[in-house]
Order: sequence, then C-alpha cells, then structure tokens
Amino acid sequence: MLKNIKTYFPIFEKYPDLAYLDSAATTQRPKSVNEAINQFNSFENANIHRGVYDLSNSATKKFEQAREKVARYIGSSNPKTIAFTSGTTHSINIIAYSFLKSTLNKGDNIVITLLDHHANFIPWQMIAQEKGAELRVVPINKKGDLDITSLGKMLDEKTKILSLNHISNSLGTVNDIHEIIDLGHKKNIPVMIDAAQSVAYYDLDILTFNYDFLAFSGHKMFAPFGTGVLYVAEKWIKSITPYNYGGGIIKNVSAEETTFSDYPFNIEAGTPNISGVMGLSSAIDFINTFDKAEMRQHISDVTHYCIEQLSTINDVKIIGTPEKRSGIVSFVVKDIHPHDVASFLNQDNIAVRAGMHCTQPLLMYLETPATVRVSFSIYNDRQEVDRLKASLVALIKFWT
Amino acid sequence: MDVTKEEIQALYKAHILPENKHPYHFEAKEGTSVSFDAYNPMCGDKFHLYLNVVNDVFDTVHFDGIGCAISKASTSMLLKKIEGMSKIDAKAICEKFINNLTNDHQVDEFNDELNTLIALKHFDGRIDCIKLAWEALLNYLLVKDLEG
Repeated sequence: MLKNIKTYFPIFEKYPDLAYLDSAATTQRPKSVNEAINQFNSFENANIHRGVYDLSNSATKKFEQAREKVARYIGSSNPKTIAFTSGTTHSINIIAYSFLKSTLNKGDNIVITLLDHHANFIPWQMIAQEKGAELRVVPINKKGDLDITSLGKMLDEKTKILSLNHISNSLGTVNDIHEIIDLGHKKNIPVMIDAAQSVAYYDLDILTFNYDFLAFSGHKMFAPFGTGVLYVAEKWIKSITPYNYGGGIIKNVSAEETTFSDYPFNIEAGTPNISGVMGLSSAIDFINTFDKAEMRQHISDVTHYCIEQLSTINDVKIIGTPEKRSGIVSFVVKDIHPHDVASFLNQDNIAVRAGMHCTQPLLMYLETPATVRVSFSIYNDRQEVDRLKASLVALIKFWT
Repeated sequence: MDVTKEEIQALYKAHILPENKHPYHFEAKEGTSVSFDAYNPMCGDKFHLYLNVVNDVFDTVHFDGIGCAISKASTSMLLKKIEGMSKIDAKAICEKFINNLTNDHQVDEFNDELNTLIALKHFDGRIDCIKLAWEALLNYLLVKDLEG
C-alpha cells in the first residue's frame, strides 16, 4: 500500500527530487485532502449552526459528522468530548486556562517533562507563576528517555495535572504513556497527552490509554494548518469554562448576564475553521486507508537506516538514543552549525529543520545550542537517506 | 534559491569559512563600557559583544558566543569595521548595511567581505543570520545609548 505513496501527494509532482525530511514540523497534504477543502469552499460553502437554509444545514451536518469521525478516530463514543481548535498549542492552553487555572492554588504543583515542546511548557509555567504554584519538570536520562522513577516521586497530593507529550519532537523519544497515565491516575491526577507527533501513526484509543485530555494538530496528520483537536474526558466536561467570548457559545444573553453552552460548544466561539475541519475529516479518511502498524514499520525502517548511515560518518553525532524512537532523529555535525548544515542540504533539495525545535530547556540540559532534525513520514524512503548521507559527507569535505 | 550551489560555495570559501574559523577578537572581555547580546531566539544564535567606548569612539571591540558560520563571520566583520569608528559613523554604517541587505538590490558598495555578506542575502532564509549583530548594535545605538 505504501509502495507508490508519493503519488498521493501533489508536492512531489511539482518537486520530484525533493527529499522532504521535515514531517515533524508539518506533514505534506494528500491530494484527497486538498480536494475535500476545495469541494467545500467551491460548492458547499456556508456558515454552520445558525442558518436554516439547505447549504448551511448541510455544512452543519458535515461539520458535526467530522466531530463524530474524530471521536471515533480516538475511540471515543461521545462526539461531545471533541472540540475543534486551531492546533495543539491552542488545545493545551484551553486546558491550562479554562480547566486548571481557576482551581490552582499556591502550594499546588503541575508536572511536565524536559522533553516537552514549549507549547506544553509555557502555558503551565505561566499559570504556575501567576498562582504561586510549582512547576515540576521530569528529567531525562542520558539516552533521552524520561526518568520514570523521578516522575513517580514528583506526583503527590498537590499535583493538579500531569501533562506530557507522547513523542518528543526533538529527540523522537516515544514515551510509555500507558504506564505514565497509570502512575498519574493512581494518585487521582488528571493526565494530558500532547499527541502532536503521534496522532497520525499511533493508535491513541481512549479505552486503552484512558487519558483525561488529548491535544493534537491537523497539519501533522496530513490535514491543513489551523485545525486542531482537544479531547476532554466526560468526567471533566463540566469543568471546562469559556476562555474567550462571542457568538456561538451561549445559551442566553441579556443585558445583565450570559449563560453558556456546555463543552465543546462553549470554547468554539466565533466561526470555526469549517473548511479546515473538512480537510481534517478527509485526512482521517486518508489515514484510515492504511494500517497504522504498517505505517510505523515503514517509518521505523527508514529511521533506523538513517541512524545506521549517519553513524558511519565520523563527524556526525546523533543526539539521544531513546529505547523507543519515532521517525525523528536529531544530530549535530562537528564544527558546522546546524543552520549551515540545513542550508547546504537545501542546496541538494533535502529539506530538514535546524534550531532548538521549541525545546530550549531540553537543549540547554543537553548542552547543545541547536541540532539538525530529520523527521520521516510514510512518503520517505531509504534512497532519501542515502542522499542525506552523501550530501553531509560532501559538506564536511567542503568545510574542512 | 536564487544563487547556485557553486556560487554559495565560492562565497563561503572566500570569506565566510576563514572568518568563521578565525573570527576577529573572539574572546570575552569583561569590564568594557558597553556590552550586550546579539540573540536570535528563533534559532538560538547568541553572541555577546564587548565594546569599549572612549570619547564616543569604539576603541576596542570583542565578542564571543555561539552561532552559525554566517552570523559569526558577519559579527566578526562588523567589529572589524567599527573598531576605531565613532558611534555616529557606526550607526550610519549599520543603517546603510542593513538597508542594502533588506532592499531588493544592493545600491552601495562596501569592502569585499561585506559585499559577500550582502550577496548571501539570497541564500535562503539566512538574512537574519547576517543582520544579527548589526541590528543589535544599531538597537544599542538607537535605544540603549540614548537612554544613557
């Protein structure tokens, strides 16, 4: 099924020589997703919820069907556990500000990890500082795996939430969220999972993992930018309050007071990204045509081949050797700054990312100012790794 | 990309790599009359500039820190350029250089190494690396210096 996978993605028609190794930043968009967006914009466009004419009713129906599809995608039987947001960052901020902040007190603590993206770091830091709470950051070991013993010790009766990513966007570490969620729940602590890097390729079935909150972005799962999802477990739905105000989230408005709809509608003020949600719905259809285990196997094969090949270059040092790795590999090249590496790879039509990857605390701990990051998806192959290696070898020769 | 790989390599070979390898006055110098960071939080490049000003002239100039070859070479070239220069003249050269970087076409001539930096503005996404220290110095001269 993955054999002619590139033909699904128009970008590779325009740039057949492009080795796109930056899917952790955003995945490429399949033709079917672009067509779904175009179909809505061209022939089905109307605002949702408040119209009584056919086009609006149809748009509303498709929008709510997309909510049901997202719910099914993560194994939730209740579509009202799903809110559409602009992305992972937005979803996490909603939980920080609309769920936790009002009940967070001085002396409480929030537990996150050193592997977390700034999106799952700064919102918690801000409300902790504002409320006089403590932000506890779970350390990692030398390999880049979370120190689970420390994590267990950090959780106590004053911990109000544990929030962590499923996969590190910098090192590629796949966290054992099953075990970690259990650790949190044993102490009655709600657990939020940032699934930005895993949602496209991993089964995140709620019945298996039992997370309390789940956040992910559309654009890292073949859907358009500006789409995201927040899942809230039924037991917490009543605790989610509006964070911004406007049309579409109210039950009743008078000059004296306003009463609000229940979650998820109370956090979807204003007109949502309706065509984007159509694209997200189509992206789920696209993913569902594949076997996730086969997707992971393919990405794992390319990733391990990449590690094997990079390891043969003396001046290349791979950052992090986690026990379980996704399709993300960070590395540095001796005496060549990651930005210079990325720029020269670009000259050979190899797209990689260089920098801190929104994980400054992690890179500070690793005493690495920046890394080159390659990240693979289903459309990458071993030949692209060979090109990466050849380009790096040529660059090192040129540099010295 | 607006320039070929060969052209980029030639520009690197001529000025960037030598300057990156042997940057001018690349050392921390505590106790200077002026010091500030040139920092790009988007990529992590961070240089600290140590400038000693005597009678409104940049008397001795040093820097240290971490950054890519372009930002390091550019900072080094900036310091060479302003050493011995008055603050007024340094402000003028920074403004002129940044103006030539950000305009579509180069309108002023500089020395060979600064011309190389301007030529590299066409190297995808690297203009911020070139500008880093120049903007930091200009910011100091326009804002911090006036604040006293």
